[in-house]
Amino acid sequence: MVKRIFALILALLMVTALFVGCGSDKNEKATNDSEKVVEENKSDTPDTQPKEKEAEPVTIKFIQNSANGGREDVLKSMIDNFQTKYSNITVDYEIIPWNDYYTKLNTVLSAGAEAPDVFEVGYENFAQYASKGLLKDITDIVASDSEFKTENMKKLAFDAYKFDGKQMGICTDFTGCIMYYNKDLFDSKGLEYPNENWTWEDELEAAKKLTDESKGIWGTVSPLQVYEFYKTIAQNGGSVWGTDGKTVTVNSKECVEALQWMIDKSYKYKVQPPFTSDIYTQPDADWRAFEEGKIAMLRNGTWQFGEFEKNAKCNWDIVLEPGNTQKAHHFFSNGLAMYKNSEKGNAAWTFMKYMAIDPFVVNTRIEENWNIPVLNDDNVMSAYYKKTPPESKKVATDLLDSLVLPPLGPIPEKWAELQQVLGEELEKAKYGKVTAQEALDAAKEKIEKLLQ
Amino acid sequence: MVGESRLSKGLVILTFLLPSLIGLILFNIIPIISSAFMSFTDWDMLTNPKFVGFQNYYNVFFNENSIKSIVNTLKYVVGFTPLVICFGLMLAILLNIKITGLDVYRVIFFMPVVISWVVVSLIWIWLYSPDSGIINYLLSLIGINGPAWLQNEHTAMPAVIIASLWKDVGFAAVILLSGLQNIPDEYYESAEIDGANSIKKLFYITLPCLTPILFFLIVTSLITSFQVFDQVFIMTKGGPFGSTRTIVQEIYENAFQMGKVGFACAQAWLLVVIILVVTLVQNILQKRWVHYESK
Amino acid sequence: MSQNNNKRAKRILLHILLILLSVLFIFPFLWMFMGAFKNDVEVIKMPPTLLPSKFSFDNFRTISKLFPVGRFLLNSVFVAFSSTILQLLFCAMAAYVFAKIKFTGREVLFTLFLITMMVPRQLTMITLYRIFVNLHLQNSYLGLILPSTYNALGIFLMRQHIRTIPDSFAEAATVDGASHFKIFFKLILPLCKPALATVGILGFMESWNSFLWPLIITSSTELATLPLGLSKLQGRWTTAWNLLMAGNVISTIPILMVYLFAQKYFIKSLAHSGIKG
Repeated sequence: MVKRIFALILALLMVTALFVGCGSDKNEKATNDSEKVVEENKSDTPDTQPKEKEAEPVTIKFIQNSANGGREDVLKSMIDNFQTKYSNITVDYEIIPWNDYYTKLNTVLSAGAEAPDVFEVGYENFAQYASKGLLKDITDIVASDSEFKTENMKKLAFDAYKFDGKQMGICTDFTGCIMYYNKDLFDSKGLEYPNENWTWEDELEAAKKLTDESKGIWGTVSPLQVYEFYKTIAQNGGSVWGTDGKTVTVNSKECVEALQWMIDKSYKYKVQPPFTSDIYTQPDADWRAFEEGKIAMLRNGTWQFGEFEKNAKCNWDIVLEPGNTQKAHHFFSNGLAMYKNSEKGNAAWTFMKYMAIDPFVVNTRIEENWNIPVLNDDNVMSAYYKKTPPESKKVATDLLDSLVLPPLGPIPEKWAELQQVLGEELEKAKYGKVTAQEALDAAKEKIEKLLQ
Repeated sequence: MVGESRLSKGLVILTFLLPSLIGLILFNIIPIISSAFMSFTDWDMLTNPKFVGFQNYYNVFFNENSIKSIVNTLKYVVGFTPLVICFGLMLAILLNIKITGLDVYRVIFFMPVVISWVVVSLIWIWLYSPDSGIINYLLSLIGINGPAWLQNEHTAMPAVIIASLWKDVGFAAVILLSGLQNIPDEYYESAEIDGANSIKKLFYITLPCLTPILFFLIVTSLITSFQVFDQVFIMTKGGPFGSTRTIVQEIYENAFQMGKVGFACAQAWLLVVIILVVTLVQNILQKRWVHYESK
Repeated sequence: MSQNNNKRAKRILLHILLILLSVLFIFPFLWMFMGAFKNDVEVIKMPPTLLPSKFSFDNFRTISKLFPVGRFLLNSVFVAFSSTILQLLFCAMAAYVFAKIKFTGREVLFTLFLITMMVPRQLTMITLYRIFVNLHLQNSYLGLILPSTYNALGIFLMRQHIRTIPDSFAEAATVDGASHFKIFFKLILPLCKPALATVGILGFMESWNSFLWPLIITSSTELATLPLGLSKLQGRWTTAWNLLMAGNVISTIPILMVYLFAQKYFIKSLAHSGIKG
């Protein structure tokens, strides 16, 4: 018995040793092979359309996050369709949950060997990867591709994926934030529905009339965090960075006013619940309360359309957010970028283009209510607008006309840090530890430190 | 031991240790050494590392977040470790009494250990709610106006500690229980013959015999609570205003979100030094209170 | 008689105490279990409800449509069992040396083992991934299993237990001409059952719940473990809490079963209880 177990252990150890030993050998071989591939690629794949000749089979690696959490099948159908259409290209794809996406992506990129050819990036991270020179410049590819017309893309969203004037990725789809409102509550008070000309003042007046604490009904609910903040200050003409793009203006009069307004709704006018209440602190509680008919106006994302259609117990619609001195909206974009070391440029571009403009992809997105395509083509998009609720579906793409991008400023690589320092100061103001002015003064100081 | 040549003894040691040594070197020492190298560089995992000398170590001590997160971690360690061991010990002793339904109780107290923090945090976030939470409701019965536990920088850390205690006490109890099971019945039998009562048995047999496992538990729970991460990350995200941000959260975010791997490594090394000092002190102190059978 | 009554009263008191504590400890599990049968709205209703208004197995059905639960479960079981068994053996062997064989540098080496527990895993993962890519073990079962065959905590716990076994035991055996292997397998291991059971359940749990490493090292669904499956229920904006509850029920029950099994060894059978010495 003892001997047998011992033999087993020895065998296991030898196997392990073997793996370790072979590992390095294989590795050398692998690198040799890949070098050969590079050479071959150089010699016989000029910049022609891969579709036309019977191109050699290629496998591209693709990694993304936005399908996680229920859209896995939708993505699969898109990729299956792609592989039928371009039979020489196989897409080896992986879906990673959002929370850990960049942990995985960075780890994989740092080891090099297993790096993807195409990966999904939000605008914030796009700028960071581009500034670090990790992305392939596709300006020429885009320009020479006759099938791809830039004028068919929503301009602000498409241009977001430019860095230093070069196209380094393409925006494929997005989700934006708008204002939801409960029609029933407006009706019951005999109030006019909000429209795109509303200002903060109008919102406040309506909210005062709609709030009914005895029934637990709140006039308006907006979150207070970094994304909401940079959009709200823009609605008041403020911005984190000055017009030169370098000076920090986060404590300007416009910004302080905007932050004050966000706080006052809860504590001065009491048309919004306090920030420590369940609506703000319990998971999903804000939009669940809207579904229950407890909130008249709610700033939230377009990703709720399907959810509200299914579970909302009230009649609802959407409208552009009220601004104070101007309109401003923010979005969360998904784009595709090509890794600079990818040797499969043609296949990779074919796939990126497919994911952005192919009718199958666009229609599937629309049918499945999965994010919004960035197309500017009303023929295609009319299908999207027709799919209700909400009735005013066009608002979801209209918001792109007054888009404000995340305030990366001159330090795109430090966006996570900027978000943290700004977020912490906003939190202090939100919970009444400091005044709006104090919070933003402190934020300015901390952001300036990041510039050094 | 007796009657062996040096060579064969060496061979025995090597064979017994070999699997663990491979794991030690390949999966641990090499990554640890490479993290030591990284700590002298400015590296974002994406571009080439730049050598920066001791800059990262300098920053560790002069960076506000870094110091604050160490202080927060210390608060957690001081609040959590003694209590989890005390409660764990009490629970283990209770669960060692031979009564009917023991198996069921033992499973029940272990349940929180196996449920994921994602689910558990949902419950605790609700319990701590100032609007509808049970905790503040109970406090209001005795006339106390409870705080917004997780939104207040003074109560957030205690709240996290309480939730962690609840979740981990069963874990401590199981480890201590395995130690209690190792105490020979004969000890108790002969003590009973000598007329010892249960309190005496506890202090003269149970506790002394348990010291090796108790020592293990203290050392390891200190090591793991210095690395507290999951519960904070899920329950509070380090907030409000960074009051529950721990050092491992700092390390994780710096490495993977902020592109400061070198700095994260320097922070990790500071953490290692702190834990190492604490562990070595315990190792010296153990000679005074831990009783090994073999001595 | 009065002594008997006294004993009974004590017992009843003890039961009352344990039952009260049990409620505190079992409530979240019950709530999670019930949540698995609720719909998406009811599951996070404020204030929470315990019983679902309508029992339905929909959540389990939906999950099995979203990802191959059976496959993931099987992967988890295979990975957790093989790494636990290897870990138990390796830990016990190393612990025996650290507890019973004196050699120079023993304490230093042991401290080295302890130090590996002190370095945050999240960081060493970066290099570990590179090592595994170089060994061509990425996206393989071995890549999932090997790192958790090493467990410094397990070695430490086993060492503490083995140290409590009197030396005289092993010495007597050595005089009888038994080798270290014989002493280890025939004498030490049987005496360590409670410790083995403890390390076993801890190691199993760690491997079972492990998330970040499997996420990094695997890239195909064929190798995905249950925690990776569960992470599919959390999107960037919304979490399917009802599905998450059902998923967690699926993933919690196996650990509880392993715990129940291991628990048998915490409770010593009388025949093995005494160390006669």
